[in-house]
Amino acid sequence: MATGLSSASCSAVPPLAPERPVIWPPRKRTRLANGLEVVLVESHTIPKFSGELFLRSGNAAVAGQAVGLADMTAAVVRTGTARRVSRQIEEDLRRMGANLSTGAGADTSAISFEGLVEFSEPLLELVSELAQQASFPPAEFERERRQAIEALRIERTTPEFLAGERLRKTLFGDHPYALVSPTEAQVQAYRREELLWVYREHYRPGNALLVLVGDYRAEQMLEQVEKVFGSWPSGRVPATRPPAPLAPCGRRVYLVHIPGAVQAQILAGCLAITRKNPDWIRLGLANCIYGGAFNSRLVMNIREQKGYTYSPRSTVHALRQHGYFTIHAAVRNDVVAATLAEMFYELDRMRALPVPEDELADARNYLSGVFSLGLGTQDGLLSQLSTVYLHELPEDYLENYRERVRALTSEDVLAAARKYFNSANAQIVVVGDRTQVESQAALFGEMRVYDAQGNVLE
Amino acid sequence: MPRLHISVESATLQNGLRVVISPDRTAPLVTVGVYYQIGFRLEPRGRSGFAHLFEHMMFQGSENAPKMMHIKLVNSSGGFLNGSTHHDVTNYFEAVPSNALERILWLEADRMRALKVDDENLCNQRDVVKEEVRVNVLNQPYGGFPWLDLPPVAFRNWPNAHNFYGDFADLDAADLADVQAFFRTYYSPNNAVLLILGDVEPREGFALARKYFEGIPAGAPPQFADTSEPEQTEERRGVVEEKFGTLPGLAIGYRAPKRRTADWYAMAMLDETLHGGRVGRIYRTLVLEKQIAVDTEGGLNYANGDLFDYNGPAQMVTKIMYKPEYTAEQTIGEFDAVIRSVQDHGIPSQELDAAKVKFRSDYFSLVEGGRGSYIPRYGLMHFLACFSLFDNDPQLVNTVLDGFLEVTPEQVQAAAQKYLRPARRAIVVRRPVAAMQKGAA
Repeated sequence: MATGLSSASCSAVPPLAPERPVIWPPRKRTRLANGLEVVLVESHTIPKFSGELFLRSGNAAVAGQAVGLADMTAAVVRTGTARRVSRQIEEDLRRMGANLSTGAGADTSAISFEGLVEFSEPLLELVSELAQQASFPPAEFERERRQAIEALRIERTTPEFLAGERLRKTLFGDHPYALVSPTEAQVQAYRREELLWVYREHYRPGNALLVLVGDYRAEQMLEQVEKVFGSWPSGRVPATRPPAPLAPCGRRVYLVHIPGAVQAQILAGCLAITRKNPDWIRLGLANCIYGGAFNSRLVMNIREQKGYTYSPRSTVHALRQHGYFTIHAAVRNDVVAATLAEMFYELDRMRALPVPEDELADARNYLSGVFSLGLGTQDGLLSQLSTVYLHELPEDYLENYRERVRALTSEDVLAAARKYFNSANAQIVVVGDRTQVESQAALFGEMRVYDAQGNVLE
Repeated sequence: MPRLHISVESATLQNGLRVVISPDRTAPLVTVGVYYQIGFRLEPRGRSGFAHLFEHMMFQGSENAPKMMHIKLVNSSGGFLNGSTHHDVTNYFEAVPSNALERILWLEADRMRALKVDDENLCNQRDVVKEEVRVNVLNQPYGGFPWLDLPPVAFRNWPNAHNFYGDFADLDAADLADVQAFFRTYYSPNNAVLLILGDVEPREGFALARKYFEGIPAGAPPQFADTSEPEQTEERRGVVEEKFGTLPGLAIGYRAPKRRTADWYAMAMLDETLHGGRVGRIYRTLVLEKQIAVDTEGGLNYANGDLFDYNGPAQMVTKIMYKPEYTAEQTIGEFDAVIRSVQDHGIPSQELDAAKVKFRSDYFSLVEGGRGSYIPRYGLMHFLACFSLFDNDPQLVNTVLDGFLEVTPEQVQAAAQKYLRPARRAIVVRRPVAAMQKGAA
């Protein structure tokens, strides 16, 4: 809980000076004839540029074929093209002072890169080559497959991964968002033809967004982009939209058993909303007050007062079709029940009582202030812009965000908390040693116990 | 070739506090840092983990800003704050809209002047730190590998060789008297540097620094313990049990040259050719070609530090996660072949040239960001602080690159021959419990 400032110390605190205006740089936004959407922003902090080529298809879009297939496709994309073998790609990147990575999440696949602006054209050419002419060398695919399997085995020993995986399963049910990671057997079964199919169907300019931020002139960069990406043949992208998940009803507990765990990871959550929902910013502010900031109720309570945990937090997650809200803490084994009790106490307090005016003002300042920190770096700008354009937010979203936050009232926060902090139907995952935490976890609802492989234990 | 021209101004206040200001007014944001020249290397014996526990205490209250006020004031000004403990420095930093600059300086000065904490705060943060150690080390696959595993094997002098995160018994033994003594010894203005980066007019920044900090009395110059290491003449080995993870891991650390010597510049370029991403010789050979490993990483002062932020014995470290069907000896054999090739044949000049381009490019990014994207200029702050405290020359941030770009292939080969010898290295195997039970290597 936030302590109020005593009047004695308050007098010494220097007031805030008048604000300087936050000015977001102009975006040059265009669509090439082949459908590629391009967003360019100048940022002259260092002689570099940073970019991301997004395909609006991730693991969810191809889950019908195989779980995690988009991720494996992206991994193999960087290992060879019609014109360069893997080693050549890596050596060329180094020569350009560039870093590049490929990967896929639930909603997008992406080629992310940054490098010296003096080599911008050859770097864009390589990115374009990866997007259009990847050759999927069989030996590279087999190497990536083995590495993915070893990575999966380690993930299954990582408490945070196990907690997140189980919660997504409980919240999303039959929706592809339920599956954050494939099984070993699924990875073993991937065929090269499936990767080629994902690549052919989804790596298309009409399905793509290219965002570039850096130390260049936007007009010149646009010419480069047109030259490099203009000949990428367009193609139709199949639209998939699985039915909405059913919101789970009633509190339930899912215990994932790790023998010998010396700490318990708690992750509770419920379905929420996407970024396009008009309540998004309201919910964001409510989250800040509850557990989204250092100076939040959850952190004050279970860290600064009780010392149960190091890094408690709550988060609103926005996927393209659905969103969800989570509360997380890694706590010592003997305070699992006490922590859950405090998490729900604070959650229900948000639902029951209006937030006091000074606490609300602090949270508004926090949210509107940290939003502009992205202005300071090319990466920060890239991430803010990608969010706006991937989620198809209004063009003036960045410019209006702060004012929208500042206009929120305690009624807005109360309404958002009542609507989305769904404590009665929250799903609770605890990852730990069942002999240490089972009886505590069972106090909070009907419980199922799993092993780290996902098998039900009895 | 574009060069960095970062504007840097510095001054020393009457109490010995160094102040470094780097103005850039393009965005209305300012990053403030205070670095104290004390890290976990020099924490008191019998008090392992204390430098880090103490870092937590610096958020627990000072004379005019009681517990929670510090965090509350920074957050409600629209910014982030944090701190971190390193080998030889501990930092405290805030990134805020620039209209909060004066308030932030007031807060940092208040805790430099007079920490005000009690037993309840200490007990609270001791519990928090234990959960931090559990979440990062004790309950995590490969927790602490290799940054906590290598020092006790590699080094003989306690400051370099102990558990930096802290044994729980030592954390339990720490009391308020320790906190106050540590504060008096190391947290004086003459053992610190204040950094103000971003939207600040230098004259105004220096005036504010004087207003809030100059009245803080200087302390006795801290007597730093001897951190030198006896000459290493034999390979050292250790095994650490991996309780959760499924793959065996190897960490190989070679004693590195002293910072800012000719050998150090050469070693950094050698490091870039060995550890620079997927094209680096170690990843390329072990993961992509021989496929004996599934991942490798490494670097000079790797894992909990960087090329610039140490002021005592350090290592160039390689971490290798290898496939369970291979033995540690086979993996070391392949690694040794990579090293031997550099020692015997050197590296082609075009490879070194490419490595220099990459090094320069990464340096720019480190300076601009360096801590995700949420603390603008974190890297600039970090480098300026280390160059001020260790080298007394913050302008190095603009010139240090030259030393790396002048390294020749012959110097790289010579560094490999001189430093990458078995008698200068330590090897730790992180061995999964399951494999140990089966008696596998």
